[in-house]
Amino acid sequence: MIALQTKDLIKSFGPQKVINHLSFSVPEHSVFGFLGQNGAGKTTTMKMVLGLLKPDQGFIEIFGEKVKYGQTKTNRLVGYLPDVPEFYNYMTPKEYLQLCGEITGMNHKQITKRSKELLDLVGLPINRKRIGGFSRGMKQRLGIAQALLNEPKLLICDEPTSALDPVGRKEILDILSFVKEKTTVVFSTHILSDVERICDRIAILHQGSIAMEGGLEEIKEKHTQNQIQVEFKKAKDMETFLMSEKIASYKKNMEQKELGVIFSFKDIESGEQAVMSAFQDTNIIPTKFELLEPSLENMFLEVVQ
Amino acid sequence: MRAYIAFMKKEFRELTRTYKLLIMGILFFILGLMNPLTAKFTPDLLKNFMPEAIQITITEPVAMDSWSQFYKNVPQMGLIIFAIVFSGMISNELTKGTLVNMLTKGLSRKNVILAKFTSVGIVWTVSYFFCFAISYLYTKFFWSEAVPNLFFSVFCLWIFGFVIIALLLLGGVLLKSSYGSLLITAGVIGILFLINIVPTLMDYNPLMLSSSNTALLRQELQVSDFFAPLIVSVGMIVVSVIVSISVFNKKKL
Repeated sequence: MIALQTKDLIKSFGPQKVINHLSFSVPEHSVFGFLGQNGAGKTTTMKMVLGLLKPDQGFIEIFGEKVKYGQTKTNRLVGYLPDVPEFYNYMTPKEYLQLCGEITGMNHKQITKRSKELLDLVGLPINRKRIGGFSRGMKQRLGIAQALLNEPKLLICDEPTSALDPVGRKEILDILSFVKEKTTVVFSTHILSDVERICDRIAILHQGSIAMEGGLEEIKEKHTQNQIQVEFKKAKDMETFLMSEKIASYKKNMEQKELGVIFSFKDIESGEQAVMSAFQDTNIIPTKFELLEPSLENMFLEVVQ
Repeated sequence: MRAYIAFMKKEFRELTRTYKLLIMGILFFILGLMNPLTAKFTPDLLKNFMPEAIQITITEPVAMDSWSQFYKNVPQMGLIIFAIVFSGMISNELTKGTLVNMLTKGLSRKNVILAKFTSVGIVWTVSYFFCFAISYLYTKFFWSEAVPNLFFSVFCLWIFGFVIIALLLLGGVLLKSSYGSLLITAGVIGILFLINIVPTLMDYNPLMLSSSNTALLRQELQVSDFFAPLIVSVGMIVVSVIVSISVFNKKKL
């Protein structure tokens, strides 16, 4: 089943076209990374999905139901974590969750039970401390708790980790990967290592439309470069190695660095064999021998430029 | 309906924890006390401070003096401070973004406006009648005489308070800032003052509810003279709230 689908979305702010014919879909039970530079239109898209902004053209469906601007019935299926969640500072987290629960129409017993579970999950203590005194990381965690309160089928997070320190980021990512068993997660970010850690599908947004979309593995495979990186202990080792006949024919597709080389091959297997036998011939042991994976960063930069 | 009640509960929690309720309580308590006391003791004060050579006749204070203080202090001081304190009732939430979570949880925008209007309306009602009760008791204590049309004139000023609340709400929704809220309210009141220049429109002017109360007590005006401005005021309240809702429905957040 498709959890979220957008079709041909267009949104302009004045003369500026922010979203331009945007179409993508998110299958159920996936963690979908929504990538893009600052100002690419990620937040705008999310706000349209939530019915907080009205698209100029096109439509959005959540589990087959159309999103209507203003009157957002579809939001009962959705949990949302804004980029900088704002709460009522004079409340305690428990009171805040209770308010959220009452608004969604949960009964008192459910609210008490879920609040306790969720505050536990995100690691916030249940006490009299008010939200006004919370750190950014704590607010972000409370944000996740409120987003998950009504057991949404779709969780939308807008740059949940951007403003956090490494510890806070790890905690948020751990929580997100924990909840992916039960719900579909869409999260926008420009931190690529976060994407690599928990996403299984990605879409890269550039200038208001999708520049690349698909499963993370699948995309990586498509962009495999057939490259091998070799590094040596001493410059002399490298010289001897490069004299070897076995690799003579590959030398023209080679990039030389101070203490290492990168070979690009058409056929990766025969290339690997050639390099290995060159090691044997010259009796040199490398410090590093690595099949280069396409990095998300390179792909991202390639798409965005 | 549950969402509306939940949001109302939140409003009152906010009013108590941000001390707004306390401020209103103290303000209207002081005002309520001030009216009869100033009426009672101003002549004595004057007598004491007056140089002996000057002779003026000071009439003995009556209950009416206390009530004219009431109708001077409540609209001029009470309502103005009330408006300033509550000018941010909707704009604070809009600028801070605290409503986003509530709306994405399924709270309808109509309920936000209605809950704000009713909760602030309840605060106004309670503090206003608290003030009135204190004034009433002290006035009764100092002077036992009855004042005609008193309760009706109190009712008129109470309705006028709701006109102010509705305008504050409309201003907040339209301009998204507490100054905008005050600006629109002050602007509309200013226009109402200007309307008074035209004699035929004067009889319908909602301003009458806050400025002609003592004339009603002195029976220079009759109860029936206030029907037209009352109807206009209620109309203004209803229209402001409806416009606020429909503007808010289209507002991007």
